[in-house]
Amino acid sequence: MKIALAILAAAALGFPFVFRGPYPQHLAILVMLYALLGSAWNLLGGFAGQVSLGQAIFFGAGAYTSTLLAQHAGLSPWVGMIAGALVAGALALAIGYPCFRLSGHYFAIATIAIGEIAGIAVTNWDFGGGAVGLFLPVGTEGLLSFQFHRSKLGYYYVLAAMLLATLLLSAWLRRGRAGYYWRAIREDQPAARSVGVPALRFKQIAIVLSAALTACAGTFYAQYVLFIDPGSVLPLSLSIQICLVAVLGGVGTVIGPLLGALVLVPLSEATRVLLGGSGRSLDLVVYGLLIMLISVFEPAGIAGIARRLGLTAR
Amino acid sequence: MSFRLALAIAVSAALGARAASPQEVVIGAVYPLSGGLAKVGNDIKSAIELAVDIVNDDIDLPLPLAKGKGLPHLGGAKLRVVFADHQGAPEKGLSEAERLVSQEKVAALMGSYNSNVTATASQAAERLQIPFLNADSTSPLLTTRGFRWFFRTTPTDDEFSENFFKFLDEMKKKGKAAKSVGLMYENTLFGTDVSKFEKKYAQQHGYEVVADVAYDSKATNLNSEIQRLKAAKPDVLLQASYTNDAILSTRTMKELDFRPQAILAMDAGHVASEFVPAVGKDADGIISREVWALELGEKKPVVKKVNDLFRKKTQATRGQAIDMDGTSARAFVGLLVLADAIDRAGSIEPEKIRAALEATDIAGDALIMPWRGVKFDPKTHQNTLGQGILVQIQEGKYRVVYPFDLAAAQIRWPLPAWGK
Repeated sequence: MKIALAILAAAALGFPFVFRGPYPQHLAILVMLYALLGSAWNLLGGFAGQVSLGQAIFFGAGAYTSTLLAQHAGLSPWVGMIAGALVAGALALAIGYPCFRLSGHYFAIATIAIGEIAGIAVTNWDFGGGAVGLFLPVGTEGLLSFQFHRSKLGYYYVLAAMLLATLLLSAWLRRGRAGYYWRAIREDQPAARSVGVPALRFKQIAIVLSAALTACAGTFYAQYVLFIDPGSVLPLSLSIQICLVAVLGGVGTVIGPLLGALVLVPLSEATRVLLGGSGRSLDLVVYGLLIMLISVFEPAGIAGIARRLGLTAR
Repeated sequence: MSFRLALAIAVSAALGARAASPQEVVIGAVYPLSGGLAKVGNDIKSAIELAVDIVNDDIDLPLPLAKGKGLPHLGGAKLRVVFADHQGAPEKGLSEAERLVSQEKVAALMGSYNSNVTATASQAAERLQIPFLNADSTSPLLTTRGFRWFFRTTPTDDEFSENFFKFLDEMKKKGKAAKSVGLMYENTLFGTDVSKFEKKYAQQHGYEVVADVAYDSKATNLNSEIQRLKAAKPDVLLQASYTNDAILSTRTMKELDFRPQAILAMDAGHVASEFVPAVGKDADGIISREVWALELGEKKPVVKKVNDLFRKKTQATRGQAIDMDGTSARAFVGLLVLADAIDRAGSIEPEKIRAALEATDIAGDALIMPWRGVKFDPKTHQNTLGQGILVQIQEGKYRVVYPFDLAAAQIRWPLPAWGK
């Protein structure tokens, strides 16, 4: 387990020096971004068992908060990232309070609905750029301004650090009291409550942490692409993709979302690159088929395959 | 073209032909080829492929690079286009643009229909310093970013709005003077944006806005809105509506006997295929803006010839003959503009192509568009010679009535009173 992790870390550090082109580096950044989003989803959907299909709200909250603060108050994106995490956390509390009364599928459906409402609301929000979106001012390059123009290395390592922090946090949470409480809630909420687990409070903790981490990823996305609009940071398809990464990777495991992103993102890119130019939508068919195969033959996700091969411990 | 520039091109062409003249020039095209916009994306793809055929083969048409094979200043090198699918997602547009540049080694990029994808894909091109030609995104914001490598041939929503007022100015010269305008628009992004531009240009061109009526396009009753317009008595009504509300408003105008001298509509609902069948004769006389029309072929024979080739191409590659529309026509022209610049650059070096694009000067006659030509603004890189057309519904058909030199039918002004 430790050796596998060390190899993974070394590979992550060395990757941009082996693959110098912008495209492989972009691919690696996408993998890490989805791994981060999947890990954040996993706190709520995996550990605590509350399947959210509205993660795009938090992603959008992070992207819009930091961008608007940069545009109107000239604040550093790093400050914006913290502010975005706070906004997303507050939204998460507001969403969690009524929605956690619902359980199972009903909670998932409620999050879809709220996500769609958020998308429509921002589309009609003049100050937030409406449907046209917001361009980030291209500023000086550097870690402080969170913009890197000539090379992607800056983005790469910033995101790698963010991902590492998220994975460590989720490993630590999983091992601690919160992890046990969440698992108890996931397995049987009434039973958990009867033995004194404050279910609502710990579900709220899960959604707030998940939202804050997702918002940080949103700020990263905005700084990376330098353009946001409701179609790119608030669509339902993003929420589903986030959930898919974690579920296919292995729900409730620390390393699962990373494995899921490592397989899914290159898969989606590869099918599109090889087949997408034909204009016959074959890529989506192949992509969907592969997802079906994984979920039929290995319901425990890619982490399940890895475990069977003895690559990771439980 | 200055003498020195001509000399430089001639010399580089001569050198290029002898030294490292590439066998083929590769262009990357990022478009929505799957998902909800697949039909549009594939029409664009067919149009670009047709344009490539016209450049590569010897075809007798009055278009740039049609005669002779390949790119003459690059030793007859052939064009090849690599297509990539962005599925309507800005982040995928970015990634495809980067892949085409780094893996496929394209000399220039084209794209991407959706304004938001064009925004990110062109950002990648800007960072990688590769020319990016946009033929079909109309969001005015795109050319306000101060990019060095971004060029746009199509007019923007802003210019389409100004078109109305240029048209009114010309009508004035013909003795049909309108002094006041009334605005009626649906109250989401489309309508409100249009109304902002229309107010700006009304002021610039000296027309008084006597009514400003926003409404909900899902409303089932527009009586009070039309009453307000009727009371304000505008000479001309500028309308931006979707389909159902365009139908409802036309019926309500008849019911309440509101008849301005002219109605100028911002395409959308007034050119939707349901509109004329739904209101029948009452649609006659309404004028709408358009990007392009097949009917332009009556004054520009090349439009018809290219459309015939397009029908043949789509029949052969996609199993059904498809007519060109405003989007495929613009993509077709976009590829030719890019090919023309690469040919004049005599090189596939990005900086030389960029300089050649800046020096682009194509006359309106060499285009299948209603434009006066292609010439980029030195700062924004927006085509300064683009313009839309106006079509008027006459006997249930959309006829091109403006610009007057391209008109296929006489304009009818003013609108006849109801029931006549």
